[in-house]
Amino acid sequence: MDIGQPKRIIEIEPATLPLPGEIAPDPEAEPAARPAREPEPAVPEHHPS
Amino acid sequence: MSLRSATLEGLAPDVRTEPIVAWRAWALTGRRDGARLLLRPVAKRARTWQPREIVQASCRTSRRHDAPDPLCTCGLHATHTIDVLRRTRCPAVLGRVALWGRVVEHEHGYRAQYAYPQRLRLICQFCFWMSDARRSTPDHVGWFPHDELIPVCEEHLAVGRRNGVSPRLVLPASEVIQRLRDAYAVDPLAV
Repeated sequence: MDIGQPKRIIEIEPATLPLPGEIAPDPEAEPAARPAREPEPAVPEHHPS
Repeated sequence: MSLRSATLEGLAPDVRTEPIVAWRAWALTGRRDGARLLLRPVAKRARTWQPREIVQASCRTSRRHDAPDPLCTCGLHATHTIDVLRRTRCPAVLGRVALWGRVVEHEHGYRAQYAYPQRLRLICQFCFWMSDARRSTPDHVGWFPHDELIPVCEEHLAVGRRNGVSPRLVLPASEVIQRLRDAYAVDPLAV
C-alpha cells in the first residue's frame, strides 16, 4: 500500500482512549442522514378572509 | 530519503486532542468453527490485532527509533480513501480505524503510534479489486489451512471451485461478521 510522501507530524493526546464508542460519530462511515421534515401544524392555520 | 522527509524532523508537530479516523484493510484468521477471529495486517509477518487491546506500533527494521519515525516506513498504516486499499494484497476486512499518539500524515494516508478499529465489515476481495466496496458484500467465508479466512461472494466461490481453489470449510459470512464485531466491540460499517 503506497501512501505517498510524508507531509507533517501530528501529536494526538486524546482525553479518553478511543476504544469503540468513545469518539465522535464518524460521518464517512454512516449513510447520510435524512434532512429533518418540518413538523406539520397540529391545527390548520386560520386565514382571516 | 527525500529532502521533504528530512525537513519533517525539524517541524513542530501539530498538536490535537481528537483521534484521526481513517480507512484500513486487514486479513482475517480464525478457527474452522469460526471462533478465535483475529484481524491480521495484510503484511504476512506483522502481529495480529488483539480484540479490545490498543495496538501500539513498533519498528521491525530498527530498534533505535520509536514508531512511527518520519524517515522510516514503520507505524500503523491507514488511508485517506477506500480506493487506495483496492491495491492491498488479499484484504478480507475493511474498516474505519482510530489513530492517535504520534501520527505521520502522508499524501494518501497516515502512519500512527496507536490504533484501534471503530467499524468493520467483510469484503469479497475479488469484487473489491474489480469494482468497489459497495459491490463487494460476501455471502460466505472460506476456511483454509493455517486458519486463513477468505470472505467471498457466491459467484467467486464458484469461480474458485471451478479452478481448483476450494476452501476446506465454508461458513456463513453473516455469522462471521457478527462474531468479529462482538469480539472487537465495534459497530457495523455501512459502506
